[in-house]
Amino acid sequence: MSAAPLDVKKAWESRSIKHERQLFRAQFSPDGRFIAAGGQDKLVHIWELEGEKKKVLDGHNTWLSSLVFHPKGGKLFSADYLGVIHCWDYENSTRPLWTIAEADRDNVRALILTPDGEHLISAGDDGVVKAWKAASGKPVTTMEGHGECIFSLAISPDGKHLVSGDLLGAIRQWSLQPWKPLRQLDASPLHTREENFIADVGGVRSLAFSPDGTLLAAGGMKEAKSNSFCPGKPTVLVFDLESGKVKTELKITGKSDGPFNALRFLEDGTLAGHTEMLHTASELTFWKTSQPEPLHSISNGSAYDLSLHPDGRQLLAATYVSGGNSGNGARKRFHEKYLPNTTNLRIFSLFAKPEEKQPG
Amino acid sequence: MKTTPHGHACGSLEHDISRRQVLGTLGGAAGFGSLLQPGIAEEITKQKKQVCLIWLDGGISQYESWHPLPKSKFAGPFRSIKTSIPGVHFSELVPHTARIAHKISVIRTMATKDPNHSTGVPRIQRGDPVDRGVEYPHLGSAVAKLLGPANPELPPYIWIKPGNGGFIAREAGFLGAQYGTLALGDGKPPIHIHRPGSISAEVDAARNALRRKANERFSAYRNASEIDAYETSYDMAQQLMARKDIFDDSELDEKDRERYGSHPLGRHILQARRLLEAGVRFVKVNSYHWDTHGDNFNMSQRLIPQVDRPFAALVNDLEDRGMLDHTLLIVMSEFGRTPVINSRLGRDHWPDCWSVVLAGCGIKRGAIIGETTADGAFVNGEGYDIGHLFHTIYTLLGINPRKTHYRYKGQKLDIAHGDCEPIREVML
Repeated sequence: MSAAPLDVKKAWESRSIKHERQLFRAQFSPDGRFIAAGGQDKLVHIWELEGEKKKVLDGHNTWLSSLVFHPKGGKLFSADYLGVIHCWDYENSTRPLWTIAEADRDNVRALILTPDGEHLISAGDDGVVKAWKAASGKPVTTMEGHGECIFSLAISPDGKHLVSGDLLGAIRQWSLQPWKPLRQLDASPLHTREENFIADVGGVRSLAFSPDGTLLAAGGMKEAKSNSFCPGKPTVLVFDLESGKVKTELKITGKSDGPFNALRFLEDGTLAGHTEMLHTASELTFWKTSQPEPLHSISNGSAYDLSLHPDGRQLLAATYVSGGNSGNGARKRFHEKYLPNTTNLRIFSLFAKPEEKQPG
Repeated sequence: MKTTPHGHACGSLEHDISRRQVLGTLGGAAGFGSLLQPGIAEEITKQKKQVCLIWLDGGISQYESWHPLPKSKFAGPFRSIKTSIPGVHFSELVPHTARIAHKISVIRTMATKDPNHSTGVPRIQRGDPVDRGVEYPHLGSAVAKLLGPANPELPPYIWIKPGNGGFIAREAGFLGAQYGTLALGDGKPPIHIHRPGSISAEVDAARNALRRKANERFSAYRNASEIDAYETSYDMAQQLMARKDIFDDSELDEKDRERYGSHPLGRHILQARRLLEAGVRFVKVNSYHWDTHGDNFNMSQRLIPQVDRPFAALVNDLEDRGMLDHTLLIVMSEFGRTPVINSRLGRDHWPDCWSVVLAGCGIKRGAIIGETTADGAFVNGEGYDIGHLFHTIYTLLGINPRKTHYRYKGQKLDIAHGDCEPIREVML
């Protein structure tokens, strides 16, 4: 399958895994053998794709907010809304190898590993970027400068630069060798605070470097209309990193009213992104970053994370599935059947579907 | 739902009296209810009961505030923290209220009928009385009518709200515009509250006398309610002109500003305290945009602290001033939010089981009322409709909702739903 040429216009759902609760994060392991996912049920779920074995790692006391595999495999890092990070030897144990009890004041919203696997970097509600030894969880350094909570992190393909995006639309670029601030990029259109709002809305919800390291995509939404429904225009700002200016503003053509929670570049420079829509379908969108209009889109439920399989040909989306109980009450008639919404981990193959062999 | 058989404890006509009788009894007490039985009226005028309603428009999430249930499948991601009541937990988003939980009560089993804002807000603020083909007053106007002003030099009902202010007659419903509310946009007094220096007090009085005379002539052939509204708004403005000190921010303690917060709701609750101290009978404080269908958890993290800290400060300050025993504090919305979390990680409208916070004026201290299902989605047994809460409020204010009625165009009307009764578990 991996030899098939990329063709997102012919993408198709090749597999799905259902889960009874909402999952916010889902990632392929670096060897492509596993999917790890987590969300509302406080557990880390590990599915082995061959043979469909399932393992559960129980160690968090609240919703999971971030998941990332070690690039060399063998270890998985999970974070939660209470500032806890666990490191797991997910193939051999169900107990954490080590734990950081207070990695953030509150929610650790983003985790990332440096490409060499030496450092784990976290960021979240306290607005501080923190580096930890990936082997031990020991603190390495902290980098301050954001005025608000940080939603997203990304590391350049050469491993030299880190970017972090916050609620107010500030993207800070940091050097990792040595650890120091470099500059700030302006993604403030992704933040809205109108006079009658009582909270800031939006933020840089997702970041991704292009494979050649020349572009940075920042996802979120523009022009939020309120701080209650928080509806906005899903938007991706593509920065030219040489100039630090926005080169292209990517849009969607379908209906979505939430931010881009996840962005992934494919090896040919195509960008994939996913957003949310209240109560109805959203979409998985693909662009060539030189063009604002999408190259292709696939109708899908709201999704909160995307992961690219190491073969570069499969995209995993943690997709919301309505259990039929959403919307305004009263729901007394569902008293016995009133259940949470669920998830479908949908794997999209990004090439033409092989023709099925005819019987005989 | 707790109900009593329909029928009034006292339906006799002796409780329905004419305007002339009341005026005669009360000696023309300004703004007093025209249709109240004299003995009852005298009784309640003796009481200096006051009310502050903090209205979180759109619906605060019970899970992210007063009823966190961290083990529920519907719980949010936030911590559940201990309160000052042993064994009782609130969300970590209300740490200040958690520390004063022993001074307040929470009803966790409100079960109302309307899942929509457009109909739900007036339905809740009017107490959802039996439909008798009239537009019932909102609670503030009803209290203004039933109790009159606590300080005759100030309007009985003031509404602090974001945006524009002005005199809002529609809150009064069939009671008539004179029971409407003076709305203070962003908590600020009406413009033109200051008499220009070029106009002397004598000239101002002469101008007002001329205006009243013109109004009397004009009203002879027109809708009296409109003229009442006009006259009332002038009278209120005049009252406030004499009390500019209530709005003088230079008199505020810097520590108070810090304790209540610089955000609108904090500033407005602090202004409410000043109005209560000055003797305003009923103060409503509105905050909008609590309807968190989208991004509920990020929004709750930012919104809920905006009510937590100033509310706790208000409770403490009123207690320190000896006012809490006669001032009823209510924190509520038109409904709660759904247990189920939607596709935008929001919570939708949920009238089936939600929470109200009460304090002062005969409310028990440290009472957590009501049992829900383990997941918090539904009431176990019978819940409390808004009519029960209105019976409770009126009873605490010294108004017997069984013996007190409105009369409008020949109809005798209950002041609260006749099928409901006070929530005794929350009352001292």
